Formats: sequence, C-alpha cells, structure tokens
Amino acid sequence: MNKSIEAGNTSKRTFDKGTTRSYQNEKWFVRIALAPILLLFGVFAFLPIAWSLLLSFYDYSPLSNHAVFIGIRNYALLFQDAVFLKSLWVTFKFVGITVISNILITLVIASAIYAIRIQWLKNLFRTLFFLPAIAPLAGTAIVWTTILNYDSGLFNVILGQLHIAPVHWLSDPKYALLSVIMMTLWADIGYNIVLFIAGRDSIADMYYEAAILDGANRWHLFFFVTLPLLRRTMLFVTITTVISYFQAFPQFQIMTKGEPFNETRVLALNIYDQAFSNSNMGYASAMATIFLIIILIVTLIQFRLGRSSWEQ
Amino acid sequence: MQRKSPWLDSIVLVFLIVTAVAMMVPYLWMVVSSFKSNMDIMSGQGSFFPNHPTLEGYFTVFEDAPFVKWMWNSAISAVIITIITLFTSALAGYVFAKHQFKGKRILFMLILATMMIPFQVIMIPTYLITARLGLIDHLAAIILPNLVSSYGVFLAKQFIEDIPQDLLDAARIDGAGELRLMIRIIAPLILPMLSALGIFTFMNAWNNYLWPLIVLNDTDHMTVPLALVYFNGTHVINYNVVMSAAVLITLPVMIVFLIFQKQFIKGLTMTGMK
Repeated sequence: MNKSIEAGNTSKRTFDKGTTRSYQNEKWFVRIALAPILLLFGVFAFLPIAWSLLLSFYDYSPLSNHAVFIGIRNYALLFQDAVFLKSLWVTFKFVGITVISNILITLVIASAIYAIRIQWLKNLFRTLFFLPAIAPLAGTAIVWTTILNYDSGLFNVILGQLHIAPVHWLSDPKYALLSVIMMTLWADIGYNIVLFIAGRDSIADMYYEAAILDGANRWHLFFFVTLPLLRRTMLFVTITTVISYFQAFPQFQIMTKGEPFNETRVLALNIYDQAFSNSNMGYASAMATIFLIIILIVTLIQFRLGRSSWEQ
Repeated sequence: MQRKSPWLDSIVLVFLIVTAVAMMVPYLWMVVSSFKSNMDIMSGQGSFFPNHPTLEGYFTVFEDAPFVKWMWNSAISAVIITIITLFTSALAGYVFAKHQFKGKRILFMLILATMMIPFQVIMIPTYLITARLGLIDHLAAIILPNLVSSYGVFLAKQFIEDIPQDLLDAARIDGAGELRLMIRIIAPLILPMLSALGIFTFMNAWNNYLWPLIVLNDTDHMTVPLALVYFNGTHVINYNVVMSAAVLITLPVMIVFLIFQKQFIKGLTMTGMK
C-alpha cells in the first residue's frame, strides 16, 4: 500500500511542475473541501475529547452553571465509590462472558452453515441468523423485556408448562445479568457469523487437500487448518466485539436500569446516569476518562497478542 | 473434497434447524403478542397465542401516539445523515488519497484516532456544545454531529488510493475540475464501497438510541427507537400496544434488508462495519 502512495506522489509532482495553474486550483480545492469537514470533526470530535478531559477536573452541574476546579478529587472519589467499582467489575464480567460465548457460538454456527452443500439453504440460514442484528436494539430490548416478564412472559409460561417455578429474570440478582447477556447474544451473533463464513470462504482448498493426504480427519482439519488460518478474522472479530460490548447501553438502560443491587450497572450506563440523571457532569467525565483508558489498553493488548501470534 | 458423510450432514442440518427456529421465537412472540387483546392480557393466564386475536394494539398505536411523525423524523434525519456522510467521506478520502498538502499525515492520523473513542467518552461535551448551539429538541441535534464519519474517510481513502493516477491526470488535462473529477470519475469507481458505507450509516442513524435519548425530550420530535421506549413507559401493562409498535418499526427495516441483502452481506465482509 505504501508503495502505491509513493508512486502516486512522484507522478503527481512531475505533473504539477508542468501546469502551475492546475496546481493552484488543487490547492484551493483541498482548502475548500477540507474546511467544513475539519470544522465538523473539530466541533464534534476533537473539541469534546479535550473538553471531557478538562471537565473531569471540575465539579460541574449544568443546573448551577458554574464550574469549580477541584483537581484530581473526582478521580480520588471514584476509587472510594462502591457503585463505580462495582460497575467496573460488572462491565468486565459482561464483556468477558458475552464475548467468549459469542465467539464460540458464532464459530460453531458458521462452521455448520459452511458445511451445508446446498447453496440456497446456506443463504437461508445465514439470513435467519442475521435478521435480529438489523432491528433497532432498543426495540429488541423491549420485546425481550416482555419475554422475560415475571407474570406473562414467554419464558415463565414455558417454565409453567414444565411445572418449574417461575423466575424473576430481570430482578433476581442471580439472573439479571444473564438475561441481558442472552438478549445481547440473540441480537448480535449474526454479524460475526457472516464474518466467520467469509473468513472460511477465503481459505484455499489446497490446505485441506494437503492435510487430508496426510491423513487428517474432520477434527484435525478444524483445529489444525481452519482455526489457525482464521486467525486474522478472529483477531478482527474479537477486537470489534469487545469494543462494541464495552459500549453496550440500550439493553441495560431499557431492561434493568442497572438494577437489582447494581448487578447490571455497566460503566456506560453509570456514566449516562451520573451525567444526565444526577447532573454530575464533572464526576461522569472522570468516569469517562477511565473508560477511555480501559478501552485503549484492552485494544492495545489484543493487537499485541494478535500480532505476535501471526508472526510465529 | 472432504469425504461425504450423510450421517454427519444430517446432524449438522438438524442442529441448524433447531437453533434457527429458536432464533425466530422472539420475533414470533412479538408478532403473536401484537394481536393479543387487552382481555387476553388482563385475564392473567399467560399463554403464547391470543384467545381473541384483534387489531386493538395497532389502532391504539396510531390513536395514542404521533406514530407517523416519529417514522418521518427517523426517516428524514437518517436520509440526510447518509447522503451527507457519503459526500464528506468520499471528498475527504479523495483529498487524503490523491492530494499533497502540509500536515496531511497528522490530520489523517487525528481523524483515525477518533475512531477509537467510544461515544460515552464524548457525549457530555457534545451535549453541552449542542445545547450552546440551541439545538436541543431539534432534529438538527441528531443530524449535525453525524455528518462526518472517521471510518468513512478511512475507507474512502483506502479505495481511492487504488485508482490509477494516470486516469485522474488524463481527466485533468481534458479540463475537468476537481469536484467534477470526484463525482464523475471517482465516485462511480468506488460505488460498492459507498453503497456499503451508505447502508450502514443509514442503519446506525435509524437505530441510534443513546444520542437521541440525550437531546430529544419532546415527544413530537422523537425518533423511532426513542419513541418506542417512551411509549413502552406509558403502556406498561398493555404490552400488545408496544408489540404492535415494535412490529411496525421492525417490518420496514426487514423489508429493506431482504431487498438489499446481497449488497449488505458483501458490504459487511468488505468493510467489517457494524
């Protein structure tokens, strides 16, 4: 890719020397084209990042409308805040369980779909598993709230038919997070199934032919050919899934509101509540900064792990 | 290539059929519940199918709520966001791929870096800025911050770089201006990438929940996902009404998806976008 950039540059330069007028035109084009775009990035991306960092050192509520500089007190308070510490724990628990189950489930389903020999059937299954992924997550969360309802929900109706005691899916501390995880997986596995099928498609047949000549069976093929060669797809899928689950918000805000006993109060919800329900924007910004640092570190670690395993 | 084993094939097929049916259950529940009558729900004996199927739920949606208005709000803002984002992404991608200027590398890196920033990190200042611009409760509040996409710029740059320089030089010698060059020559060449970007930008705008939740409080100005949740709060017991609204909201997205399925899947695997 770098090569093509350099090639482009040199040919451009020789061309520019010849026609100064068009060079002037180009310069103006660059300025006029970039100005509005950079303005939008500036106002809605660069400025908020800087502002957020700054705000985390202030005690600020939009209601009182004046900010008091308090240094690192927000950060000091954060680490004594039991709710914040719990929300950190809940976030990692949610992301960990959901990402691992997501990858295992999607890998199995993608392999199963790939093994189907009839093309239209293959496409049908892919479509069916993908459908939930396109619906608005907020709508899905509401549908699942009624499914998990204690009195009239589908799950408890089924349990009743089987003569099993009904469960408080969304208000029992043992089940609440699990329920949200279930809903998230239902709504989200379609993406990774499609990506894994595409990844499997791009593995050349010759690897399998060579392995079969060496006497490999189906399991050998999966573990020693498919999995290692899916590494790139796997790295990409893991990183994007981890990042998107760290930011999961609608399902928590709609289904459990962080309850019971903060068992489902993930960081994303905690930041929102502090900023917009409690008008505690300085404190929420400090939380957001910690959130950013966590995401950066997690992404970096994954890139490192991914890279070292490629190079070997 | 692999040895055929009809036995294993049927196990795989049965496994897929069972899981696919299980995946469809929530949709089935949504549709079936939308036809329940208030009586069915009040009777207290939960059952899967309605005893007296009616359209009560659907009527209530249109009577009690500015449902058409919500759809319009969502549609118009998503369309504007999509069209302008496609334009700004292609334009910036073209500038970064084929033009030289001071500070290009650093600017591009800065734009790329914003891709790593979760929205929760910038939502507070973005809200304060939007409030200062006087846009709270206006559709402009959800449109304006979403007119540029760092991922869109990145994708466009990648794809435009592959266009041979000679082609552009030839067009310039023929007297084409830069903007014309972009629209007439570059845009058609990167059309598959643009359509993928367009589909996903539209979907994200249509489905966005968090940002509208922050800046839109007035029921008349709400977008669909937000309104659905608000509506859910006012019809807690009669969930047939909310399920009817959910069906009405999910249906158009599904139809659009089934029509554009091929481009959609191709776009997903080409760009890795979500």
